[in-house]
Amino acid sequence: MLLKNTYNELIKILAKPRSYIGFIALTVLIGVILLAMKADGESFISFVTASFEQTLSFNGLILNGNLIAFIILQMLIIHVPLLVALVTGDLVSGEAAMGTLRMMGTKPISRNSFLLSKFLAGAIYTFFLTVWLAFLSLIIGQYMFGTGDLIVLNSDGLVIIPENDIMWRYGLAFCLAYLSLLSIATMSICFSVFSDNSIGPIVSTMAVIILFTIIGSLDVSTFDYIQPFLITTHMASWRSLFEIPVPYDAITDSIIILLIHIIGFTLLALWRFNKKDINT
Amino acid sequence: MKYIFIIIIGLFSGAFYAQDSAQDLLNKVVEKTSLVNDYSASVLIKPDVPMIKSLPVKAKIYFKKKDKFKVVSKSIAILPKQGFTDVNIFLSNPKNYMVVEAGTKMINNTNARLLTVIANESSSEIILAKLYVHPVHHVILESEITTRSSGTVKVNYQYSTQLSYGLPSQIKFTVDVKEFKMPKSFSTNPHKSSTSKKKQRKTGTIVLTITNYIVNKGVSDSIFQK
Repeated sequence: MLLKNTYNELIKILAKPRSYIGFIALTVLIGVILLAMKADGESFISFVTASFEQTLSFNGLILNGNLIAFIILQMLIIHVPLLVALVTGDLVSGEAAMGTLRMMGTKPISRNSFLLSKFLAGAIYTFFLTVWLAFLSLIIGQYMFGTGDLIVLNSDGLVIIPENDIMWRYGLAFCLAYLSLLSIATMSICFSVFSDNSIGPIVSTMAVIILFTIIGSLDVSTFDYIQPFLITTHMASWRSLFEIPVPYDAITDSIIILLIHIIGFTLLALWRFNKKDINT
Repeated sequence: MKYIFIIIIGLFSGAFYAQDSAQDLLNKVVEKTSLVNDYSASVLIKPDVPMIKSLPVKAKIYFKKKDKFKVVSKSIAILPKQGFTDVNIFLSNPKNYMVVEAGTKMINNTNARLLTVIANESSSEIILAKLYVHPVHHVILESEITTRSSGTVKVNYQYSTQLSYGLPSQIKFTVDVKEFKMPKSFSTNPHKSSTSKKKQRKTGTIVLTITNYIVNKGVSDSIFQK
């Protein structure tokens, strides 16, 4: 029953025009970035290496598909969760607003199964959005710019990763990115359970992401205690896969915290949905 | 009076002899390098620079008289800003500088002679060059080049098969490294604390091991075009 209802939920998602906004927006955004890099990527690279170029010169193919994919991932890390929330925030509250939630409540499916099927459908939608992001940034990027070593700028300085040591990192990075987006999806579905209109959960999710991102980016020691627990802090954990050596312990911590968020939001949503008096 | 005059000439003749000898020695170094019309070689580049993590990189280098130089590498190779040919081009024209001998130094069991080369032009990119020259083989064993834009770079040279052309088998650059500033938007790392500030080394080294020289066999101009 759960899988059958998940299939039905997927059909509902595909039937809504807003479900395609995320894919179209990603295509346009990444297309614009790729064209901009093709036109003037060298000056962007100079910005990254400027600090070193007083004493050193960098030779070789710096502007390549691997670097482009990294730049795209970095730029879109705040925007893609919003595209996810646009669909998943509407999964429960949208039905409440349309009046179909009450009808679904009469069906021979438990509230838990019903809600879990929505979570699963949201997870599948998020998965395909992540795959599309990976395809456009990495595959198309490599096709347009070729492959080569990856030069990464982090707080410790520059890291240059050999070409033959990159693809497995990207594989894991996109898995981590999916986990991050899934945590946002579950958060927005959880908000959706508390609301009877579509806008509230979507805007609330956006507000939480923006607020936590701002707190995370403030270089103030007061927030050092809060930052490790914020969901947005660990959304950027994929960057750690491009360090030498890779801090697997820290990445594992990020995965655990994201999983705790996912499970926590799911349980909260289940609790609320079971208690909820569906009047519409 | 006659004896005082002879003593004065005797005191200064040493200095005149040393200045001529310094220029002669430098001329011999330049003559040796001018035997090379072109060359290509394989190079292994090992950088050890603060705030840069990079593995050794293989590359190919090409040179053609008088100032064409190219490093060809699919991997990203880090090299000093000061090029390989800058010093040779500077030394090739004696009108660019004046040279003074300033002592000796033991380098690899060789009593190398120190030549201090000072640029005559105030606008010259190379301001000062300290060259430790092998007195017999007429090759540079060590140098300290002060440039207008790149600061001071110390270079150590080792020679083997191409000693007759003055082409080194190993070059070690020691560069001064200022504290590199990271753009904040690119440097956020969720697994680093905001207050971590490590003591940074002030110098970095880049070691080039050069092999498989092909000298004076012709290098196409198309290689130097971008």
